[in-house]
Amino acid sequence: MIYTSTREGSTIRSRWGAKAAALALAATFGLAGCSAPNTDSAVPDEDAPLTGDIVFWSGFTQGPRAEYLQGMADKFMTENPDVSITIETFSWPEFETKWTTGLASGQVPDVSTALPNQVVEMINVDALAPVDDVIDDIGRDRFSAAALGEGQKDDVSYSIPLYSHAQVMWYRTDLLEAAGLEVPQTWDELKDAAIALNAPPTTYGLSVPLGTNDMMGSRYLNFYVQSEGGALIDDSGRADLTSPEAIEGINYWVDMYKKTSPEGSINYNITDQATLFYQGKTAFDFNSGFHIGGVRTNSPQLLESIAAAPLPRVKADDPIYGGETSNIPLVVWNAGDNQAASKAFVETLYADEDYVKFIHSVPGGMLPALSDISEDPAYLDDETLQQFGSSVDVIEEVIPLGTAIGMENGPTVQAGIITSQGVIEQMFQDIILNGTAVKDAAKTAQDKLNQLFVTAGVTFK
Amino acid sequence: MGTRIQTLGKAAFVLPAMTVVLALLIYPVLSSVFFSFTDRNLLKAAYEFVGFQNFTIVLSNPEFWNAFSTSIRWTVGSILGQLLVGFLAALALERVPRLSGLFRTLLIIPWAFPAIVIGFSWKWILNDVYGFLPNLLTRLGFSEQNVSFLADPSVVFWAVLVINIWFGAPLFMVNILAALKTVPKDQQEAALVDGANIGQRFWFITMPHIRKVVGLLIILRTIWVFNNFELLFLITGGGPAGITTTLPIFAYRTGWGLHQLGMASAITVLLLLFLLAIASIAFRIINSGDRKALR
Repeated sequence: MIYTSTREGSTIRSRWGAKAAALALAATFGLAGCSAPNTDSAVPDEDAPLTGDIVFWSGFTQGPRAEYLQGMADKFMTENPDVSITIETFSWPEFETKWTTGLASGQVPDVSTALPNQVVEMINVDALAPVDDVIDDIGRDRFSAAALGEGQKDDVSYSIPLYSHAQVMWYRTDLLEAAGLEVPQTWDELKDAAIALNAPPTTYGLSVPLGTNDMMGSRYLNFYVQSEGGALIDDSGRADLTSPEAIEGINYWVDMYKKTSPEGSINYNITDQATLFYQGKTAFDFNSGFHIGGVRTNSPQLLESIAAAPLPRVKADDPIYGGETSNIPLVVWNAGDNQAASKAFVETLYADEDYVKFIHSVPGGMLPALSDISEDPAYLDDETLQQFGSSVDVIEEVIPLGTAIGMENGPTVQAGIITSQGVIEQMFQDIILNGTAVKDAAKTAQDKLNQLFVTAGVTFK
Repeated sequence: MGTRIQTLGKAAFVLPAMTVVLALLIYPVLSSVFFSFTDRNLLKAAYEFVGFQNFTIVLSNPEFWNAFSTSIRWTVGSILGQLLVGFLAALALERVPRLSGLFRTLLIIPWAFPAIVIGFSWKWILNDVYGFLPNLLTRLGFSEQNVSFLADPSVVFWAVLVINIWFGAPLFMVNILAALKTVPKDQQEAALVDGANIGQRFWFITMPHIRKVVGLLIILRTIWVFNNFELLFLITGGGPAGITTTLPIFAYRTGWGLHQLGMASAITVLLLLFLLAIASIAFRIINSGDRKALR
């Protein structure tokens, strides 16, 4: 028997199944309000005034970004008095639960922010409306093809990149200078420098965060594998943790953990990790330009002593690579009743002057998804961007070179699973705490990930 | 006719409460049971009836049994600790002649905070680099280097267990204290006159009066602690190496991480059956005590 929730219309097969399921499904989903794509509003009369109530789920919890978005909504409502915009703010982890349960119950917004791997899942269940019309209005060639590609399926775009950031290596200039060390360019140089600067409990060379509550272990391993020209997901779509590059990477991070990292970092998440750098407890760290704001808020006295460099390579003359780029997009939901107004509002967020204000709300952290804005004098006229000009240049250089973890071959469901299940982090913990051999732990983790992919309905090539 | 109207009237008064109970209790339980027999995925509309397949998969997964074992140790340790600390605090407070209200309020503070505040606060306090407690212990000379309370496999379970005892003991304390107030003073005085020692007075006079309250508290807290998710998840995330992964965390990862609602429902149904069995045994023990007392 196949049951289909009322989200797609009831198609319950078999008589007794219909009786049993009808009661449960009516109660489960009937109350939630079910809506098919609103084709009427998707093709609006351009002269008609925009109307409707728009619900916007925003992942922007930080003050300046949240205030900016509310300001834009107020402005849009003033210009379109028949439109009402309600912004509901969620933290990113909370958003994961919110949209998955919302989808099951039919309670989804009109517009939302999303992470690239979430967009893949949303596209696969037909939850999103095509947004090629919005992209064309803003200017398709202003976006990078890679960023657009993360939200495309069968040449149709379902997400609009809003801003980008990329992972780079942050370091303490004062500590390097005091020790007479150069900025590391290779993994070996990084290890040597981190060991040289390791002076616990005052300072740790480099913390290696491996908590199962986050995806930091996967991120660090991905950096190493990328630098070797490999990937954590192979061309067939399977997890690949037993390749020579992956085994080398696992060994590298296990060794680094033992030599330069706080013992507790075996269970750190991204906040624990970042806090160490903000407090001046680590000499090196990996993060995006959001580190600038973090250090400014927590330890402004250190602001003069931090800088960013490209991720280490295997050999110094290897090309610079993109370890991990995040293109954070906006999406318009299929179930929304007011797609015309929703798309019109989204479009206003990209108007040059307002867009620059938005990007300036986290200077250096959010970099423009619109290529021409990066050269715009209004954008460059910012104190932080000028102070950290060389670091921001490093980030801008690697953004087009990278993708989200596991999306090297395009958007895949596997990318979400590899970073959400803590399997790679469990593998590291197993090696370090239980003494499991690296190859055995890698094989176990690889098999587990592939099993999870199958469970999620992935078909390998 | 009059009786019928009376019956309808009674039903009308009961209806709102029944509606709330049905909506908030019966429906979620029934929907969980229903989905546990399907391959329901959170993101997919279509699903099929798969019989006992989810239960077979879950029960043959060693991670499930590890989580189950951890849940048992977590629950038993927490309840015993909370009962002991709560009991001692209640007995002590009963003897405090002055300012007992102030002490009671101070002792109940942990219970007044939301789990998210407690979780993040303890995580901060126990951090092995900048945490208050590891640094204090090192400075006082109790350890050569900062203890990794949340990373050392031999310490982490006990660390979170102590936090849960600290968090839950006030509930035991308040309820046991209230029950102690109901113990008749004249019985205590009569026993004293008859030469009963403190242990005998406690066992034969105090205990029978508070036994039912303590029994109910243990049952309720056992269910709550066994189902507790947020405190452990916030502090350790179930790690390191799965040492603190309990069944609710395992179910959460299955349900939300993999979107396998059917599988997660099977886990919760197994959890429900186990707790029902425990609760029914506990109620039988309490009631058998009542029957003995009546004889």
